[in-house]
Amino acid sequence: MRKAYNITWIENLHIVQTAAKWKSKNLLTSEQEALVKTKFPEHFYRPGLFVKSGLFIFGLIGCSFFAGFLSIFVADMASENTFSVVSLIAAVAYFFFLEHLIKNNKLYHSGIDNALLYAGIGAAMTPVFLLFEGAGFAVYCMLALIILTVATLRYADLLTTLGCFLALFALVGDLMMKFPIGKALLPFALMILSAIVFSQVRLIRNIYYQECKMLLQGLCMVVFYLGGNYFIVREGNAMLNELHLPISPQIDFAPLFYLFTTAIPIGYIFFGLKKHDRLFLIIGLFCFGFSIYTYRHYFSPLTPAQELLVAGALLITIAASAIKYLHTPKFGLSDEQDGRRKLANLEAILVAQNLGQTPAEKGFEFGGGNFGGGGAGEVY
Amino acid sequence: MSTPAILKALTEKEIISEEQASIISSYETSKPFSLHWELRSILYLGILLFTSGAGIIIYENIDTIGHQVIIAIIAFLTAFCFYYTFKHSLPFSWSEVRNPNKFSDYVLLLECTLFLALEGYLQFQYKFFGSRYGLAIIIPTIIFFFSAYRFDHRGALSMAITGLASWLGLTIAPMSILAENDFGNERLLISAMILGSLLVLIGWLSEEKELKRHFSFTYFLLGGNLASIASLIGFFTKDYGIICFIVSICLSGFFIFRARKAQSLVFLLMGVVYGYLVLSYSVLRPLGDAAAIVGVYYVLLSSAGIIYFLLNFKKFLGIKK
Repeated sequence: MRKAYNITWIENLHIVQTAAKWKSKNLLTSEQEALVKTKFPEHFYRPGLFVKSGLFIFGLIGCSFFAGFLSIFVADMASENTFSVVSLIAAVAYFFFLEHLIKNNKLYHSGIDNALLYAGIGAAMTPVFLLFEGAGFAVYCMLALIILTVATLRYADLLTTLGCFLALFALVGDLMMKFPIGKALLPFALMILSAIVFSQVRLIRNIYYQECKMLLQGLCMVVFYLGGNYFIVREGNAMLNELHLPISPQIDFAPLFYLFTTAIPIGYIFFGLKKHDRLFLIIGLFCFGFSIYTYRHYFSPLTPAQELLVAGALLITIAASAIKYLHTPKFGLSDEQDGRRKLANLEAILVAQNLGQTPAEKGFEFGGGNFGGGGAGEVY
Repeated sequence: MSTPAILKALTEKEIISEEQASIISSYETSKPFSLHWELRSILYLGILLFTSGAGIIIYENIDTIGHQVIIAIIAFLTAFCFYYTFKHSLPFSWSEVRNPNKFSDYVLLLECTLFLALEGYLQFQYKFFGSRYGLAIIIPTIIFFFSAYRFDHRGALSMAITGLASWLGLTIAPMSILAENDFGNERLLISAMILGSLLVLIGWLSEEKELKRHFSFTYFLLGGNLASIASLIGFFTKDYGIICFIVSICLSGFFIFRARKAQSLVFLLMGVVYGYLVLSYSVLRPLGDAAAIVGVYYVLLSSAGIIYFLLNFKKFLGIKK
């Protein structure tokens, strides 16, 4: 598949970024860094997160009104066929603009190209789906998977990658659900499938798909964990078999799922720390949090408030002692700050959103769980 | 691309020597794995959970624990946090102060939230401030402003600004401006516009006069959003809309032209979005019924125009980078 973006520039961009990192650690001199920039040129238009979001929003607005503009002409003869034709025209126009802008404005995931790509895929899928109307969920999944895979291979876009992943898993899930035995084996099937996808994705070496690879690996890890999570399996089992009981019944192989629920997050965290893999570490931490939730959902002797208090105290203690302990690096781990805090400004805003509610008049009444400014107060 | 591949590319272009390449490669293999952000996030989450849990427990047991005990505990914790921050603080300066102490930022945050809890408790139980709610709000606000400037803490600053806004009866947290403010109320609408514009002005001054210039972002973002949204709503609904229109346009223009200096382009986006809304409304409103048809062309062309502007904003605004 021919790639939409200039692969040499992407490589150069990566080299320049790495060089900047080394420069900040004084491994390169400023002259060497400047030399890197001239010898490895890239001319992508990369405007930063906020302008990118602006481009994306206005891109989507423009695309949807372009579709509206087209349908003005056929407003009198509305039928399924004209609808398909309009979608096809729109899709051709979106992809034409997309390719044109990538070439001439040197875009590289700059917001507007994302918007055009999604609009284009949406418009292209409409007639295809209309053609196969009533064909069943699995067929739609398959069609979506094909279209999205082609788009991902060409544009290496993250959302289309996510779409591929979801379509694949929905397809397998749907096929499994058709048989009673499949329902029972669904957790294992999802775990095996994510393990297979993970091991295949791991082999991708091309830098063009680096971000897609990360995303897919992360998704596989999450699904692998959720497939083995006791809470998900037990509640999912009750839901799939339409058992509307106040407490979902115990599942088969429960000890096996206890084991998965405990071992997988610990394994992720351990592997992440050992191999210095941040993706494993962070997903492991989240999974661990969810495992705690799973445990307390079935066995907790405490009230939610006590749990909050204990969990908070534990987290503070763990984090504080780890920070103290890692004051000098140990076991290849450190508490050193990589570079400057980039998000300090946004952190402050987060604080205002979460903690900063001064007791207003009604705050004094301590509404259930809304202690005046205590932090649980999302309500006022 | 792996490190060896990059090093090979650099040596082939004769940017670095073989020895330097081997130094870098041994650095890359032996460098420690930093857990800085993970640990900080856990700490922040811990503070959030702990204070929420403590708050609910106190509320649930208010009849059994004994008020003096609770107040004494919270007051003690608050005082301890305050003492800790003071002890580990650096001398005051108008420029950015980087405190090497790893915890004082978080302890200060804990102190601020605990102080709010303490005050709320006193008021709830003993009607400490009677019905002078204004006083009850302005006291923590003053303390937070003091803490923010004394200890150089942006979190405390945004809590202080939130307090100031709620003193006027406003919610300023970015996600809640629209949902929780009753802008039908004229007094609130006008105070939101004035407060927001004042905050933007303060942010501008702190940048120009180099008085904690890194605080300007917080002032701009909180104040700018409040003022822009309030003036937009005023323009849409009130008969003195023309004043709101002027305020809104001035703010948008200010943000767009400020993008020349700013490191962050969030204000360019804010200026463009708010400016676009207010201009579109003033173009389409006089058209009445015809607006629906003209609107399609208008939105199509204008969004293309905005995209063109955003693709070339550096050229238009004369930004060199």
